[in-house]
Amino acid sequence: MKPEELLRKTISRFVDNELIPAAREIDEKDEFPYDMFRKLGALGAYSIRYPKEYGGANANNTMFCIMCEELARGSMAVAAFTAMQCLMGTNFIFRYGTDEHKKKFFIPAIKGEKVVAFALTEPEAGTDLFGGVRTIAQKVGDGYILNGMKTWITNAPYADCFTVLCQTDKAKGVKGLNFFLVEKGMPGLSISPKFSKLGTHGTDISEIAFENCHIPLENQLGADGRGISNLTAILAEIRTMTAALSLGLARAAFDASVQYAKERVQFGKPIGKFQAIQLKIGTMATEIEASKHLLYHTTKLLDEGKQCMKEASMAKYFISEVACRAADEATRIFGAYAYSMEYPVQRFYRDTRFLLYGGGTSEILQTIIAKEVGL
Amino acid sequence: MNIIVLIKQVPDTTDVKINPKTGNLIREGIPTIMNPYDMHALEEALRIKDKSGGKVTAITMGPPQAIDVMQEALAVGADTGILLTDEAFAGADTLATAYTLGRCIEKIGKYDLIICGLQAIDGDTAQVGPQVAEYLDIAQITYVRKIHISEKKLIAERIIEDGYEIIECNLPALITVIKEINKPRYPKINKVIDACSEAADIIIWNAGDIDAAEDKTGLTGSPTQVKQIFTPEHKRKGEMLTGTPDSIAKQLLDRLRGKKLIRN
Ligand SMILES: Cc1cc2nc3c(=O)[nH]c(=O)nc-3n(C[C@H](O)[C@H](O)[C@H](O)COP(=O)(O)OP(=O)(O)OC[C@H]3O[C@@H](n4cnc5c(N)ncnc54)[C@H](O)[C@@H]3O)c2cc1C
Repeated sequence: MKPEELLRKTISRFVDNELIPAAREIDEKDEFPYDMFRKLGALGAYSIRYPKEYGGANANNTMFCIMCEELARGSMAVAAFTAMQCLMGTNFIFRYGTDEHKKKFFIPAIKGEKVVAFALTEPEAGTDLFGGVRTIAQKVGDGYILNGMKTWITNAPYADCFTVLCQTDKAKGVKGLNFFLVEKGMPGLSISPKFSKLGTHGTDISEIAFENCHIPLENQLGADGRGISNLTAILAEIRTMTAALSLGLARAAFDASVQYAKERVQFGKPIGKFQAIQLKIGTMATEIEASKHLLYHTTKLLDEGKQCMKEASMAKYFISEVACRAADEATRIFGAYAYSMEYPVQRFYRDTRFLLYGGGTSEILQTIIAKEVGL
Repeated sequence: MNIIVLIKQVPDTTDVKINPKTGNLIREGIPTIMNPYDMHALEEALRIKDKSGGKVTAITMGPPQAIDVMQEALAVGADTGILLTDEAFAGADTLATAYTLGRCIEKIGKYDLIICGLQAIDGDTAQVGPQVAEYLDIAQITYVRKIHISEKKLIAERIIEDGYEIIECNLPALITVIKEINKPRYPKINKVIDACSEAADIIIWNAGDIDAAEDKTGLTGSPTQVKQIFTPEHKRKGEMLTGTPDSIAKQLLDRLRGKKLIRN
């Protein structure tokens, strides 16, 4: 069989036997699940995209997205920190870090021994990332001094290191934006308590602040002035990965809905026999099928090295909205039981919101797509 | 230790449908999996290898697509997979299957232990393991839930109806294992991908490769004649008693007394 098939089978078995039974507790405890984090490390999940010499699987984007999709079917919180560990949190250390950085952070991170974080967003830099970054990295003799703050940073409360976007020279604008590696415990780095949030309970988020935080020269990740182009180089991958997470969640909501529609009896028959419920299920099934095609068409383009920012943006926009609609419909099909914390549907509903912001909001993606088609 | 694990590809359902006209199992459209008991057999082999080294060879007999279970075996950690596939093997009963697997094992030659799952979930006969041991004329222990290996000896706990017995035998031997013996591991993702590559160590052998006698394989080599296959009807129906535990207990007692199954 094709590696894609066996991979899906393998991850799917893990999700059914290990992740789904743990998902409710992870959500209710609302604490980073180290146990699950390590289990996925042992499975080789975090090294999936990386070369074999680092113990990786050298998998393409299709396979990476299959894994993300399956994990999101079980727990969005777990899928979210996995994606962070696989892509955004390790990419810059792997590509632009020194051997020492790789030994200290990259290799332990892809084994599931260290947690990584990726810090772009600031109080004034949300969608307007390029224009809004105020965190300054000022060059001094033997390094840089960082001042500023980042917010909404996934994993920040327990991360071992951060890939941080900073402005090195305001006058240069976008060309002054560069990435830096900041280690936990460095003097001048402080981390706020975790945010109280709607969904993805289990991956914590907080603010981080830099106050005269001194880092060595070699902690600049990437050639000077290339921060944004290095970010753009993986932007299509980030959007596609988020689309895969969305598809997994949509499937979870759909599967639960179909099962419930068969079991719940009202007016003497299963509610799935009523046309009103069939319309919902029919629409969900169609949207999920369309999502699969769009997602795996995009990963194929990525794997072939083709330009696909348009498709990646469409996939993230369309499929995250499909997930939102699927979870919304699931809450209707389940009736009052959707409102009960005993059933997972409320979790699907809350977790869909996670998909809407990172990698570009639906609104900004729609405008990007419009520009891509000529406006 | 050279360990051989026998693995079967089975339909991923316990609800096997039968074509009423031909009497054959309907396999179309039903996804296939590695026989669940065989996952435990493979796991036990890998545990022995992890502890004391050696080589694990997985063997399956089946149609060409049974290569899937060899890929799975390699992904989990088997060193080599052998797929026995030939038109001549088709329609084999347990005896012809055991003969074919036995010929393959003789061709491999060097082995210390053969591990099988208790039974395949499609046929449920639990015969192939014992028949392979008989063919090879080696010791066999079935229904094994725990093993210990020292030097050239195998000590196994084997479950029986109301307990278990401990049996010791010389190697080489064949055991069939139950699910309680272990928890199968998950394959590592990098090995999953390697196992599906061209370079994966999977050998494909046909009847000629294992010098199998024509009259002993497949349908021709099968003394079992299937007269009829049918789905038994469930005529007896269960009944659920409801109420508080006390009232359920009372209802149950009343019925048992009513049927004179217990004394007042
Ligand atoms: C769970 C979670 C985890 C996160 N993890 C991280 C992380 O690890 N690292 C990190 O750096 N960031 C992280 N973020 C932050 C995330 O990347 C931002 O939320 C995102 O970039 C959007 O920014 P914002 O929330 O400030 O929204 P805003 O930019 O303030 O947007 C508000 C609204 O205005 C709309 N809008 C804004 N500009 C335009 C425009 N030009 N045209 C049309 N509409 C517009 C938006 O679509 C939205 O509807 C996380 C966020 C969440 C919710």
